[in-house]
Amino acid sequence: MWRDRLLRAAQALGSLLGALVLASLLATLSQHSHGFWPFLCAFSAKLLAAFGGDFGRSAVTDAPAMASALAAFPATLQLLSGGVLIAFLIGIPLGAFLSASRTLRAAAPLMQIIAATPVFVAALALIWIAVRVLHWSEASQASALSWTAFVKAGDRSAALRAFALSALTVGVAGAASIQLSLRRALVRAWSAPYRKGLRMMGLGPLDIDLRYAAPEVLAALLRDVGEIALALISATAVAEWVFHRDGAVVLFLKSAALGDWNVVAAILFLLAVIKLVAEFLGLAASWFVACEDGAP
Amino acid sequence: MSSEAFVETAVRGSRLRTVISAGGLAGLGLIAVIVALSDVIARVPAGTLRAGPPSLPPDIAYAFGTDGLGRDVMSETVHALAVTFSGALLATVIAIVVGAVAGFATVRAPLKLGVALRGIVGVLGSLPVLLLAVVAVSIAGHEIAPIAAGLAASPAIFNRSFDRALRLARSRHAEYARATGIPALTLLRRDLVYEVRGDFLNVAGRALASTTITLATLSFLGFGAAPPHVDLGLMIAGARASYLDLWWPALFPALALILLILFARLAAALGEGEPP
Repeated sequence: MWRDRLLRAAQALGSLLGALVLASLLATLSQHSHGFWPFLCAFSAKLLAAFGGDFGRSAVTDAPAMASALAAFPATLQLLSGGVLIAFLIGIPLGAFLSASRTLRAAAPLMQIIAATPVFVAALALIWIAVRVLHWSEASQASALSWTAFVKAGDRSAALRAFALSALTVGVAGAASIQLSLRRALVRAWSAPYRKGLRMMGLGPLDIDLRYAAPEVLAALLRDVGEIALALISATAVAEWVFHRDGAVVLFLKSAALGDWNVVAAILFLLAVIKLVAEFLGLAASWFVACEDGAP
Repeated sequence: MSSEAFVETAVRGSRLRTVISAGGLAGLGLIAVIVALSDVIARVPAGTLRAGPPSLPPDIAYAFGTDGLGRDVMSETVHALAVTFSGALLATVIAIVVGAVAGFATVRAPLKLGVALRGIVGVLGSLPVLLLAVVAVSIAGHEIAPIAAGLAASPAIFNRSFDRALRLARSRHAEYARATGIPALTLLRRDLVYEVRGDFLNVAGRALASTTITLATLSFLGFGAAPPHVDLGLMIAGARASYLDLWWPALFPALALILLILFARLAAALGEGEPP
């Protein structure tokens, strides 16, 4: 059991190392080194520096790339955390509701249409509804949430609305992943062969659900945290652009367009770290919840 | 639930999936016909200004209305659908070859090379597909957007294909085959043929849905198609400035995009909310 867990931890560490190598490779593009050996030398130097968190300097602002990336991250994390909250608030009841096959069959067409809607289309539709149906001001959907806006009494409502729309976009994308993970886990738990044996031993359905099925379902949900995180990050990337938020992904897009590879590499590395760390923490938490050998 | 009832439900579910998949394929076929006949169906060539009065809402003469420059939205949508669909098809082929086929074959690579490759691709799979595609386009140019979308979608497909092939390689039939001296290449060929027959539609549908989303989003962000080759993402981006009042130039391309992705998802028989 412990061997398997150590192996998983080593794999997670290896993935982080891989993300660092990938980011260094990308940052090497800024060196314009021609030929294999000059490129290899530049890559080695970049990799060594990257171990110390140094991805070089921005080609646009000349500020350290990692510092530029970190400065833009609070807005992204704010949006991401709002999205996570909404995703769980929507995803868990939805997953539980849809795990009954009859309700799923009734909701299936709508679910398929929602799942087929790209995030940017959903975000634009939300803005349209907010402005045309709810009569929110156009300015509220264009302004990014900032802490100073909260301090100013007049801007509080507009900032909150702007945040609500973008977080809802991210949250709905995350909720789709959460309901799917939960639904699969619930169906597995409800059709598990051990239920029949436990019933024969005299345990009631509620006892079986609470003592055996609930930890199993929670563990399955925790094992999927990596996938959920990736869905949330992907949606955040688009939501930042549509809602004009000056976050890390908007900086990433601008830097990529300008060929500022050091900043691109730093942001890509930080995003990979968020996903990989979330994935490993979810996995580790699932071991404790299910008290099993950690095998998926 | 009794075992008979469980089996019955499973069989019914399998039949339903087959029907849904056939519906998705029929929808994709219809889109392919529209794309093939786009020059006939569209009233005017792509980008024709003043095809009608500007900012005209949908009516009998102009079913999808006209935009602020007087372009016929229906003609523009049909042309943009053709650009998106053909780009997504190219991206799908790339994603299948680089992702599915390579993932399947890599399992049999010697000296744990396959496991190492799976680890490397796993790192790429931990990044959003869109951002990988943005990086590829920024390095090589807008013209390669379909290739970038295909390459960016391939890590997820590679990982799924690799894991599936690994299960097959460790299965009993593979053990028997090895014990009886059947060469690894023959076994790989046999598994690949069975895989293509049984799972191709799912893999291709997933890849088509994924690459369509990536391509359209790339164009929306300004990293994909560039005029005069306007695709659905670029069309929506162009209508964005005025869509709160003139909703029709944004709505119809968005509906066409959603339909294309929906049919690809249905053809792949993806579950509700399942990512492609």
